[in-house]
Amino acid sequence: MTRSLNELRPVYVVGIGWHRYQNPSETPYVELGLTAIRAALADARVEWPVVESTYVATALLGMASGRPMLRHLGATGAPLMHVENASASGSTAFRHACIEVASGISDVALAVGVDKRNPVRRPDTCLGNLAEDAIVPFTHFALLTNEYAVHNNASTEDIARVAVKNHRNGAKNPNAQRQQERTLDEVLGGKRVSGSLTSLQCTPIGEGAAAVIVASEDGIRRLGIDAGRAIRTTASVGRSERVYPPGAGFDAALTKETADLALAQAKLTPKDLDIIELHDAFTVEELHYIESIGLCPEGHGVRMLKDGALDIGGQCAINPSGGLIAMGHPIGPTGIGQIGEIVMQLRGEAGPRQHRGARIGLAHMVGVGAVCYVHILQR
Amino acid sequence: MQPGELLKPGLYSAAPNDRAGATVRLKGGRCRCGYFFFPMQTYGCERCGSHGDALTPCELSADGTLLAEATVHLHADKNRPTPFTIVKVALDDGPVIRTLLAEDSAPVAPGRRVTGRLAPVGQSESGETVLDLRFSIAS
Ligand SMILES: [Zn+2]
Repeated sequence: MTRSLNELRPVYVVGIGWHRYQNPSETPYVELGLTAIRAALADARVEWPVVESTYVATALLGMASGRPMLRHLGATGAPLMHVENASASGSTAFRHACIEVASGISDVALAVGVDKRNPVRRPDTCLGNLAEDAIVPFTHFALLTNEYAVHNNASTEDIARVAVKNHRNGAKNPNAQRQQERTLDEVLGGKRVSGSLTSLQCTPIGEGAAAVIVASEDGIRRLGIDAGRAIRTTASVGRSERVYPPGAGFDAALTKETADLALAQAKLTPKDLDIIELHDAFTVEELHYIESIGLCPEGHGVRMLKDGALDIGGQCAINPSGGLIAMGHPIGPTGIGQIGEIVMQLRGEAGPRQHRGARIGLAHMVGVGAVCYVHILQR
Repeated sequence: MQPGELLKPGLYSAAPNDRAGATVRLKGGRCRCGYFFFPMQTYGCERCGSHGDALTPCELSADGTLLAEATVHLHADKNRPTPFTIVKVALDDGPVIRTLLAEDSAPVAPGRRVTGRLAPVGQSESGETVLDLRFSIAS
């Protein structure tokens, strides 16, 4: 018989930390990663030697980047592994750190994401293609924007409002790459990228790091960790793309099936969610995914957005961190940073970004391939 | 005049001497399970996993319905000068493909009927016209 994560022993996030996401710089990745890990250790009030296992999420640094970074914490001999799963690398590392602790193999594990912007090398399947060199991610999502707008009678302005909200949230986040509020005119008037997408509706290129420490109840007791600040992971689901019926886009379908499984695992409904951190690399994605997660029927996302229901303080705060559009998307760190933001919110420690009374948060990531990961955290 | 050289002959074909390129067919495949795919491959069927003899080449019509379009304004690769327009097309024979809109096509919108033709995109070293697949509004 198989079991889901929440049928194993409980696993909690006990420490969170970042190196701010930022424009590409001379800062070595080692320094980015160590800053995030030391912040997470300090947040949990534990020392590095208690970490029994490390999952390093990185997509762009090259082979075996973890040990040259981790050795500067004191080489304890503990196991480490690298996780590459495109944009979902960090979410995948977090899932496996949780599984390791929930299974009883370790009491304390670390998931750290670190990346610098390097050229992306894609595998060669030796299958020909018509024009894939001309279809970079922002054009994939420009096509999706066109489809969404036509199907749901949504205007370019409606969709761009996602960016206005997320830049507003990012402006209050010291770890965000973009920390500036933007008006709708500024968003729409920016550089045109592809289709109706403008640069402020697209995630920026950047670098950074994020780390979370997860622990079992045994670990929390043994190490004297403050259980009042520990946030439980109550669901973890990973999926990959299937063959969907003709006409059904994989983006929305894959998110829907992954989120449905995660909500069922935690015995929750979409209405129970106070916070969602989701993959808004491009504005249209946020509308697609809140509808796929089931926050509202298909095509109703714009109304929720305009009504303020998705704001901090609204019905369900979407991307209170600023999301990929404002906080940034350095690839390896992104999914781990989402977990950190939700933990901060559920602890009530999010300061000016605090969504009042937040008890339940969902983290969602997709990665090219396509893969999808969803986690639920509860106070 | 020579009929021109195909840029990607592994992906499509045209009748000889068809200088207008209107007879283009896509080199897709069909699985024993009934699944149509593009391009042809023998690695295995994405729907059912069958491979080998279960997968057979199958010419697909280049007629379809437009699902989405996007005009690209920013592109790092200088071999693709902007602007150009990408179209996502549901072929009548099943597969959904994404490629370029013909430069001389009338504007497109989701729901419109479109068709693929061969269009001149440059010259080969031997001086032949190089043809590649482009979609435009169906006439
Ligand atoms: Zn098949």
